[in-house]
Amino acid sequence: MKWTLLIVLSVAALIASVMLGPAAVPLADLLHSDIVWDLRMPRALLAFLVGGSLGVAGAGLQALVRNPLADPFLLGLSGGAGLGAVLAIALHLPGPWALPLAAFAGALAALALVYRLGLIGGAALDPRILLLGGVAVGAFAAAITTAIVSLADAAELRNAFLWLWGGLSGASWDAVLLIAVYAPIPLLVLLAAARPLDLLALGEEPASYLGADVEAVKRRVYLAASLLTAAAVAVSGVIGFVGLVVPHIARLTWGHRHRALLPAAFLGGGALLAIADTLARMVVAPRELPVGVVTALIGVPVFAFLLRRWTIA
Amino acid sequence: MLRRLPVALLVLFACHTTARPPDGPPARRIVSLLPSFTEILFAIGAGDRVVGRTQWCDYPPAAVQVPSVGEALPPNIEAVAAKKPDLVVLYNAGPNVTAAKQLERIGIRTVLIDMNRLEDVAPAARTLGRLTGFEPQADSLAHAMDRILDEPRPTPTTTLAFVVWDNPPIVIGRGSYLDELATHAGASNVFHDVSAPSAQVSLETIVARDPAWIAVLSDSGTPPAFAKRREWRAVRAVREGHFLLLRGSLFGRPSPRSGEAIRQFRALLAR
Repeated sequence: MKWTLLIVLSVAALIASVMLGPAAVPLADLLHSDIVWDLRMPRALLAFLVGGSLGVAGAGLQALVRNPLADPFLLGLSGGAGLGAVLAIALHLPGPWALPLAAFAGALAALALVYRLGLIGGAALDPRILLLGGVAVGAFAAAITTAIVSLADAAELRNAFLWLWGGLSGASWDAVLLIAVYAPIPLLVLLAAARPLDLLALGEEPASYLGADVEAVKRRVYLAASLLTAAAVAVSGVIGFVGLVVPHIARLTWGHRHRALLPAAFLGGGALLAIADTLARMVVAPRELPVGVVTALIGVPVFAFLLRRWTIA
Repeated sequence: MLRRLPVALLVLFACHTTARPPDGPPARRIVSLLPSFTEILFAIGAGDRVVGRTQWCDYPPAAVQVPSVGEALPPNIEAVAAKKPDLVVLYNAGPNVTAAKQLERIGIRTVLIDMNRLEDVAPAARTLGRLTGFEPQADSLAHAMDRILDEPRPTPTTTLAFVVWDNPPIVIGRGSYLDELATHAGASNVFHDVSAPSAQVSLETIVARDPAWIAVLSDSGTPPAFAKRREWRAVRAVREGHFLLLRGSLFGRPSPRSGEAIRQFRALLAR
């Protein structure tokens, strides 16, 4: 029943985001319209894929660091991506893909640095150091970014921030194809780690007694979740709340078993972002809201409602 | 002004002018912290009294010889004070209000002036004329600016959208100087219904409103990078390469050259 509802919601969200938009497209022309084919379809699919990826990445990271506040961007990735984007503009890198590629590279650099910090105490990846390292690397990257923006001449540099918080405006079939090819690999890695992630919730020592290769799982989960997030940031900037709230909503409804939790977080994240983006395009038309605002406005009340029901029950 | 747009999105502007009646003699050492003010000061003949400018002040050529005090957003108080000015002219916006107070505290006279639209040029010229003692010249400039405003608006013969940023798409609305320029030049801005100076819109709205031209501020004279992006090619004007490339120095700010900007705008549209 829960699954049927979630699948219906996901499909409905996708259909709605293709059918609805600020430009009036008559129902009969829906399949022949350039607006629908070139703009709405890729945008709806990209929203769903990015939202789903963020949901799964958030669920995986929350289990890994055993901290309910963990969010895919907490571990320094947004700072790294921002630095990459600003560098691309400051150095006048040419080409339409320069900005996303530089952001991806920046996120990967932050990821590598945090990962290296996480191994500081030896061969074991320490989740607490991952968290602290992530916050530190993120702050450091943000400081360098701000320094570049305030010192460099290029007037368009200030707009790097707009890009970073930009959401799904840049959606194209190229971006959809890229994510559709790239995301399944880390997604499958995370799904394959579902059982060890369940065990990890008991603590690292009990998990290893129960047969989980704790170190390998932690590395795989950290790298897969971060690679998912880095790709999401490259195509859509930093979109908040999906990766934080959706895993919690999924956990409150589906429980702590990751075999069910991860697919639910994918569908839930996808549906939330597709709906949020449709609303972002429509509610203040012809203007548009930043999609992160809408994900928070929808996600947080749903979360609060479930939290209340869950604590009362 | 357009350079400041992204900042304008972030900063809450204080919206009052605190031009006080001039007390004391005409200013002899002036630091001008906005390109439009620098242009006005040179236009009314007070150019040789300008001892400091922003790095953006690039007109007239003589202004470039004046030492720069930096980006001025917000102004570096010590760099401004080091020029020993007896008048600092600031754009009336949030961070500048604080800066003006600090300058006043060290005994430097300041004036905050609105400069967002075409109709702000004449009052600014009158204020600066009064403060510098070049009142007759300032009055004649103000009259010339008023005549531009009084001219009947031509019936629009074409449509355009100003795109100031591509991802997310940010366009110019009714509240902006650029919208006024377009109206005076005989083009109607397809986002004239947006009351703000600029706003984020979705790409499909631009496609649906189908402007004949995409106008961008560009000093390079080459079409913007987003022209090559696949999603932007859904916009007809982008597909057909109908870009109006406007030099920021002439078109990007209200100034004594606004009349010239309107004439050149018309010529570009007539091509």
